[in-house]
Amino acid sequence: MSLTGYKRADGRWGFRNHVLILPLHQMLSAAARDVEKDSKGAVAVSHDWSQVVEKDHQRIIHSLAGNATNPNIYATIFLRLGTPAEDEVINLAKSYGKTKLIEVSLSEAKSIDRLRQMAIDRANTLLTEAKSEQRVAAPFSAMVLGLECGGSDAYSGITANPALGVASDELVAQGGTSILGETMEILGAEHLLAKRAITAAVGQQIIDVVARYEASINYEGIDIRGAQPSRGNIEGGLSTLEEKSLGAAKKAGNAQFTGVLEYAIAPSKAGLYFMDTPGHDIEQLTGFGAANVNITVFTTGRGTPTGSAVMPTIKVATNTEMATAIPDIIDLNSGTIADGTQTLEENGELIYKLIMDVANGQLTKAELGGHHEFNLSRLYGSTL
Amino acid sequence: MRKVLVLNLADNIAICLEDMPAHTVVDQDNLKLTTTQQIPRGHKVASKPVKKGEGIIKYGERMGHATKDISVGEHVHTHNVLGDRLSTEAN
Repeated sequence: MSLTGYKRADGRWGFRNHVLILPLHQMLSAAARDVEKDSKGAVAVSHDWSQVVEKDHQRIIHSLAGNATNPNIYATIFLRLGTPAEDEVINLAKSYGKTKLIEVSLSEAKSIDRLRQMAIDRANTLLTEAKSEQRVAAPFSAMVLGLECGGSDAYSGITANPALGVASDELVAQGGTSILGETMEILGAEHLLAKRAITAAVGQQIIDVVARYEASINYEGIDIRGAQPSRGNIEGGLSTLEEKSLGAAKKAGNAQFTGVLEYAIAPSKAGLYFMDTPGHDIEQLTGFGAANVNITVFTTGRGTPTGSAVMPTIKVATNTEMATAIPDIIDLNSGTIADGTQTLEENGELIYKLIMDVANGQLTKAELGGHHEFNLSRLYGSTL
Repeated sequence: MRKVLVLNLADNIAICLEDMPAHTVVDQDNLKLTTTQQIPRGHKVASKPVKKGEGIIKYGERMGHATKDISVGEHVHTHNVLGDRLSTEAN
């Protein structure tokens, strides 16, 4: 199976060639969306950051700078006011690689109308450049795959998740990178995942990340371990917390864990990683987008249209009923495993092939539907 | 059409892919068993005998242990399985 992509000047690989419009203050979010609408194909995100000093400052700076320099981005146009906080994001983005970074500042444009027009003109020039770039043959190490699940059901752990694990294992064996997130979801199985770590130190990091999460939850007075699996889980056939968490973690197959990543921080070499992310679907996508992930596979039991501005997001259904009901959202059905008509390995192969097809340019349902959600993740309240 | 799903060859359970009345015969992929009781779709059936205290293996990993002897064809669930971690913490 051959892979093609856009080779970046810094050695990374993209499978899309986007021009991203990234506002650096919430008051410029509407302008960013206008630029997307009136340009010839730029993508915009919007968010609620207003540059106030908060405990999550570094988390937010890394999320913005990382997404601005995702390898699927040809160029990012920052819409800015002209403040020092914005310089922090832009300087961090510059340190991440050689993505083209353009600044359009309200302090120079003087009016929102003028800012919008300047950004549209720059975007259209960059889009013309981007379209003239050719795909070239890419190695499997070009691939940084994000593994996500949302709206899980009783079949997630026996169909789509382990089938995705088959694809992830194959990718990692070929020299690619795969990132599993959602700390809450591995709670209870962390000791099993730690045994699969490449070194004892990495294993301990997996244990520590979950302990850190659990301490923060206990601080809030919630005993999540004692309440799991839930009554609904038990009715669905799950007997223990380990079983439930293994079902989520099986998106990462059986490969060894090379390392543990903080939220929104990119891996430094190939292999399978665990990233400490929230369970929130879109916040997880933002964290992946900031960490060089260039394709995400998202398994879902109930069906969700969520997509990302910077990464193609492949939706894999856990059951045939839902896949049949909402074909405009679902890219691939793993419900066939529960129907008894396909094996895990057969379905996992289809997921692997689809990942390659999407990398080579096939559009996902989320891309066709224009879904590019973006949320900043906060651990603390937004004001001090 | 398969009646059960074997997630990993090391497993001592299989997943029922349909509601199975007692005495349902499964014969597929080198696995032969007869259910000893009714088992709902999505639930686990023992594919190998498990002694009390031994691990329940799913995905090739230990998801808990048997709280009583379990014979092939039995429903494997909260009535005869306990998570390792939680039971340790309870003590």
